[in-house]
Amino acid sequence: MSIMQYNGGSVIAMVGKDCVAIASDLRLGNQSLGISSNFEKIFAMTERTYVGLPGLATDVTTLHEQLRYRLNMYTIKEERTMEPETFIHLVSSTLYEKRWGPYFIEPVLAGMQKTPSGAFRPFVASTDLIGCINFAKDFVVAGTASEKLFGVAEGLWEPDLEPEDLFETISQTLLNAVDRDAYSGWGAVVHVITKDKVVKRTLKGRMD
Amino acid sequence: MDISFALTGKGYVLVAADTTAARSIIKMKSDEDKIKVLSPHLLMAFSGEPGDTVNFAEYVERNLRLYHIRHTYPLRPASAASWIRRSLAESLRSRSPYSVNLLLGGYDTATHTPELYWVDYLGTMTSVPFGAHGYGSYFALSLLDRYHDPEAGLEEGLAALRRCIDEVSKRLVVSPGKYKVKVVDKDGVREIEL
Amino acid sequence: MATASAYRSPGFDFSNEIRNNFLSERGVPLPKATSTGTTIVGCLFKDGIVLGADTRATEGPIVADKNCEKIHFITDSIRCCGAGTAADTEFTTAMISSNMELHALSTGRKPRVVTAMTMLKQYLFRHQGQVGAALVLGGVDATGPHLFTIHPHGSTDKLPYVTMGSGSLAAMAVFEAGWRPNMERAEALDLVTTAVSAGIFNDLGSGSNVDACVITASHTEMLRNYVKPNERVQKERSYGFRRGTTAWKSESIRQMVVEEDITFIAPEAMDTS
Repeated sequence: MSIMQYNGGSVIAMVGKDCVAIASDLRLGNQSLGISSNFEKIFAMTERTYVGLPGLATDVTTLHEQLRYRLNMYTIKEERTMEPETFIHLVSSTLYEKRWGPYFIEPVLAGMQKTPSGAFRPFVASTDLIGCINFAKDFVVAGTASEKLFGVAEGLWEPDLEPEDLFETISQTLLNAVDRDAYSGWGAVVHVITKDKVVKRTLKGRMD
Repeated sequence: MDISFALTGKGYVLVAADTTAARSIIKMKSDEDKIKVLSPHLLMAFSGEPGDTVNFAEYVERNLRLYHIRHTYPLRPASAASWIRRSLAESLRSRSPYSVNLLLGGYDTATHTPELYWVDYLGTMTSVPFGAHGYGSYFALSLLDRYHDPEAGLEEGLAALRRCIDEVSKRLVVSPGKYKVKVVDKDGVREIEL
Repeated sequence: MATASAYRSPGFDFSNEIRNNFLSERGVPLPKATSTGTTIVGCLFKDGIVLGADTRATEGPIVADKNCEKIHFITDSIRCCGAGTAADTEFTTAMISSNMELHALSTGRKPRVVTAMTMLKQYLFRHQGQVGAALVLGGVDATGPHLFTIHPHGSTDKLPYVTMGSGSLAAMAVFEAGWRPNMERAEALDLVTTAVSAGIFNDLGSGSNVDACVITASHTEMLRNYVKPNERVQKERSYGFRRGTTAWKSESIRQMVVEEDITFIAPEAMDTS
């Protein structure tokens, strides 16, 4: 039993056509005992940057507070919002700083990146628990169901999905993967991010 | 071996904890109060390593009292819970960490909502409709999944709580005898005889 | 809590160490980080250096990234391939790259490959092998082309052709059979590709594509995904879902564009009385 599996939970993010989606389950457990079915692991850092923090639940809160603090300091100093690509490097260096005593979190990020022309480009990335960044063009996964998520997403994801289609694909990927994971599930939440709105939906999932 | 339960209802939070103070296999005391009143509308049931529990509870109590004196108003439940969680998380990174699990029940006088937080010694915190710590949790959580109603009146809430306590008495090998029950609502904190 | 500054002191932070030791004493093993079970190679040719790498990153038996970059930038004419703990190779090369730039600025000369090699080996030796970076460093400077391997404990080798990572044996076999002194650029690039491919197809820790980098005195050419022998074929059908498949309970929308209705009111004449 690894410390990464202690509380359970999984996150996935996917790229679509001019949109990104990030989804997670809602379970918080103490090993096999379920404690909460309303433990959100996805946080809005800026308007268009969402980060999912699956792993040890105490570090979910601590790391979220830490990232929020550092992001706020950046925003005040630079007088501009942080872009997702910058933010994943902030996450990465925050984690690598603790190389010899890591936070037990594998962050997943989804956001809309502002291009020099002013348009928005979908962006997803993830890191391991010591901050090695994985820039993926399609999808990223993390958490106790990551192996299952990899498999299902590999089969279901396709390029250029419209926001509504991306919602279906990411939801079905998550729901079916966590059904095969004892430590994830108990409800799910999906955020679909487009350039001018974010739609958050809580899904109907198995409660066992 | 401590057992504590808590549940929310319509405008109140019920918190219950056993009253046994044990050392090894010996019962030392049977009227120990394991629910601290932190502020006019905030309760905390604590359990875990003997010694750590009372020490940490008093530390929290005094700090929240200090805040109240300094700022005239007490911390609201969410902020208090956040501060307590942080204290535990920081303690865990010290040479002698507190080994304390908490149930934090409060009534937010600004939004008029009852709030309950489940906190463990690692600094894990989550807002729950009902929660439990110790061996009792294996019985209570499944019972409350079935019988808990967030819109229930105080009598119904007490009935659900009684079910939990009865089940533990019936099925747990080393069940404690007595429980102390406290409720927090818009009028503040009071103790209830079961 | 830290002081309210946007700047942080450099270096590692050990504040979680006590807690994590406490947790592992309670019998929970600490998890492993992404490692690059890798094939990285480099060889000397007539005009310079060719470096090569595969693009697979693994987490135990799982392929974490199918197309990652393992040839890291050090300076314009020095590059470094990394194997081992992915985060360590990434951050170590980034740090040395920035120190090399500072060094170049302060000396006013083009930095040398031995300088980077010395910085890397001293850093790795200082951390006693705990920083798990196994590197192939190559570049061209005023003293000619140089190729090094640097092991996690800080030992180094200077050789005409080198391989590292889990696929190093497969790749070395190719070099042993095919390397000759004073090869042409195309020959060398071909040999490197064959060597990395040997790793990709014979070592489970290596896979996907071949990245290559040709460094000569006048020019550095980064050939990202130079060969893609494992291209995924087009899916035979679409696996999209009909809209409305997923049942959801609640929805909230965060609108970034605020709509405003502006009603113009006819301007009144100024009151001048």
